[in-house]
Amino acid sequence: MAREPKLAETKLSHTAAMILQALDAGFVYGFSIMEMTGLPSGTVYPAMRRLERDELIRSHWEKQAIADAEQRPPRKYYKLTAAGKATLQASRRRYPLLERLIPTEEARTV
Amino acid sequence: MRPSSDWAYRLLHFGLLRGASFLVPTEQREEWRREWRGELWHVRQVCAPIGCDSRQGTREVTAFCLGAFQDALCLRRADRRPRLPFAAMEGTARQTILILAATLAASYAIALLLPGVRAERSLWARGVNPNLVLIEEAAATDAARPSIAPEQFRSWQGRRQKFFDGFAFYRVTRESVEAELPPGATSDKATWGVARASSNLFALLGLPVRFTEPAGVNDEGLPALILSEAVWKREFGADPQVAGLVLRLGAGTARVAGVAPDGSLALPGNVDAWLLEPNPAAEAGGAGYVIARLTPAGKAEMWAPSFRIASNTPDDAEDDLLGVSLEQWGPGPGALYGFALLLALLALPAITTVSLGESSLNPRKTSWSGRLHRWSFLVAKIALLLPIVYFVSLDLAYGFTTLGRENAAYVQLVFTFATSLFGLRWVLKDQRQRCPVCVRRVAHPAHVGQASRTFLDWNGTEMMCMGGHTLLHVPSLPTSWFSSQRWLYLDTSWNFLFAGSTRHVP
Repeated sequence: MAREPKLAETKLSHTAAMILQALDAGFVYGFSIMEMTGLPSGTVYPAMRRLERDELIRSHWEKQAIADAEQRPPRKYYKLTAAGKATLQASRRRYPLLERLIPTEEARTV
Repeated sequence: MRPSSDWAYRLLHFGLLRGASFLVPTEQREEWRREWRGELWHVRQVCAPIGCDSRQGTREVTAFCLGAFQDALCLRRADRRPRLPFAAMEGTARQTILILAATLAASYAIALLLPGVRAERSLWARGVNPNLVLIEEAAATDAARPSIAPEQFRSWQGRRQKFFDGFAFYRVTRESVEAELPPGATSDKATWGVARASSNLFALLGLPVRFTEPAGVNDEGLPALILSEAVWKREFGADPQVAGLVLRLGAGTARVAGVAPDGSLALPGNVDAWLLEPNPAAEAGGAGYVIARLTPAGKAEMWAPSFRIASNTPDDAEDDLLGVSLEQWGPGPGALYGFALLLALLALPAITTVSLGESSLNPRKTSWSGRLHRWSFLVAKIALLLPIVYFVSLDLAYGFTTLGRENAAYVQLVFTFATSLFGLRWVLKDQRQRCPVCVRRVAHPAHVGQASRTFLDWNGTEMMCMGGHTLLHVPSLPTSWFSSQRWLYLDTSWNFLFAGSTRHVP
């Protein structure tokens, strides 16, 4: 049975909220999120598994041709779902400093 | 960083990821490895690029790889499907089948372990020659005691027989037994019940002797000793190489020639070993047992389980003998079981209705697969119950050798009848109280209505399917308008009662 997507009011942990914020800010793979948030791999990857399980984020593999062209292994990218975006909005209200810690791309360019 | 240590670290990191990957569920493992290998490449590029000697960077890469274990454990925990606890199985068809299967396995295992049951099954599996009879004095009060004198046996052997074409004699004595060892060595003495028997005894009985020596090995001319299976196991640890061992029996010696199969000791006399001699009745001594084989003419004449035989003693006096068919120990456990089961089936309608209470089932509410499931469950219950009854009856009847064979047969008959009867009654009653939708047993019986003095008011018991599918009405007093149980299918308005259940209303 498919799990019910989390509602926007769901209270995320600070770690999960930071990961959502990092994804929203354009850091779309595990290692870049680690770099951005300063969290260790043992925290970031399991948190992303849980967020994906709860359908707040979604993953997809980079095309092999792109990776081959850059002579590196392909990466798994993550992006926010609609439910994830709504939850992130709610989390920003709960953690007001979130946007200052990891500014989004628009905020960075302003 | 030197190239050799660089490769050592790379090998370490690869090993860490590989090790962690074994914690990941199999179906996700390949993709997990692919993602972590890709990420590791990028981490190395940033933290410890080739040619850059950075211990800090290597430590960071190692820390990154160690984090893979937490990720793998997270996936492993998430993959653990919720196991169905035993409490959640309460009343389900699966629980009933599991309990019956476990009972069957336990009763079968006990039947395999009990030597009495094993011997009985082996004896009846082999079958007894219907032409074999045990001859005893008609005046003998106890059939288990020997009653034929050796002189009498010798006189029969010397005469031409019309009704018998083979005789074997054996006499049981208690003798001390010890292994013959080289001078100086010591061995334990034991006392066995040794039957000094005619050398044709096993051929006459048709019993195969196991673990025999190849022909021509015993050239010492020692008499052959056949061990009983119990003694072979107890004294020789079931050694298959026991044949050829020379034993001291009382004043003489004998060579072990093989092992008699289980069940051969059903002959009277507690025999631990059979010493085969050309003419055991040659010496005067105590009485013994005589086994005889009937000719076809003899079988036609003496077909009853036991019959009188008129004979003459060696001094020409009249002797009254009794021939007891070795078959007369009655039908085997299988036949007894079948007979008792038939009786139970005949008696079943007297103690319960054989209806399954399905007349009120709505065919539109019960699917074809649901009906098949229900019937399969009924068949499975019966198929498990019947062997349980068989094996438990064997365990009880033949597990205790002190009962004796005749008493054991009675015990088996009575037990099989009672348990089959009440077992089948339980099967039908249980089936009537199974929800037609989920085959789960209905629960929480509630008495409804008032006990009627005029027999006009309805009263009875209602039980609810815990899956929320149905309600069962069982009338206390069957009336012309409500004579048997009825099922009521619950619609969605009952959902509030079953919040959290996996309810599916067809």
